[in-house]
Amino acid sequence: MEISGADFIRGLALLGAGLAMGLGAIGPGVGEGFAAGKACEAIGRRPEEAGLLTRTMLVGQAVSESTGIYSLVVALLLMFVVK
Amino acid sequence: MEDLTKVWTWTLDVAGFHLVFNATTIVMTLIIMGLLIAFGWLATRRTGLIPNPFQIVAELFVDSFWNLTKDALDEDMAKTYFPMICSLFMFLLLCNWIGIVPHMEEPTKDLNTPLGLGIMGFFIAHYAGIKTKGFGAYIKEYFEPIFFMMPLNVIGELAKVISISFRLYGNIMGGSIIILVVSHLVYGLIIPPFLYGFFGVFVGTVQAFVFTMLTLVYISVQVK
Repeated sequence: MEISGADFIRGLALLGAGLAMGLGAIGPGVGEGFAAGKACEAIGRRPEEAGLLTRTMLVGQAVSESTGIYSLVVALLLMFVVK
Repeated sequence: MEDLTKVWTWTLDVAGFHLVFNATTIVMTLIIMGLLIAFGWLATRRTGLIPNPFQIVAELFVDSFWNLTKDALDEDMAKTYFPMICSLFMFLLLCNWIGIVPHMEEPTKDLNTPLGLGIMGFFIAHYAGIKTKGFGAYIKEYFEPIFFMMPLNVIGELAKVISISFRLYGNIMGGSIIILVVSHLVYGLIIPPFLYGFFGVFVGTVQAFVFTMLTLVYISVQVK
């Protein structure tokens, strides 16, 4: 089977998309889990502040999620833009 | 998969420039603006001590965002920037939620909408900074720790726009791609409504709130 240059580039782009998404998801996963764990500890200590803590936790998680979102955007670019 | 890359566009040739307009985004943005204007009209039509349902929702929005804005900025500055913050949140919320309705697409699925709103927030924040601190103090902030930190500070300011807009775009786009792929896998049975509930309602609300809060934080950082 002949593999042309275009096929090679396409294959490497798909491989890169998978690597970008997989490696890029590690950091946000660990970080968001850490934030949720700390929020659980804080709610256990002061249950009356649960609403404020949950809101702050969600905002912080959404911000720390952004590196994962960047890798998602890079993966999408590799999948749909690189021909 | 072919729904993903298909884009409905309007093209226009003006004076040698080939302009391409993303028609879906424009039409959906206009629909959302119309809905918001109708909501505002219904909420303020007959205000009274016994409120109608629209007035209750509007009061909920105004009350909670007034408290948030007042905490981040001081009282008289909050009066200036509160309408922008509140309407930004309502616009983004409706943008992110409208994908639930069949044949409707989120305008935030297109990078142009979040990027435009992010650039708007950038200019508003820097205008507020120049207005409160004066031009000299504003320029001096860039040379803050040592003078050769200036390029890093400028890049840091520009990166805020990129980060805030790509966060919103990536979340909404990624959510809609996951919904599309999983719906194809299960032939549209059982699972898609729950996916719309999570990616449309929950993630949409959180991301609209985060975008609004970050715009507010950028303004308050410039003003301090």
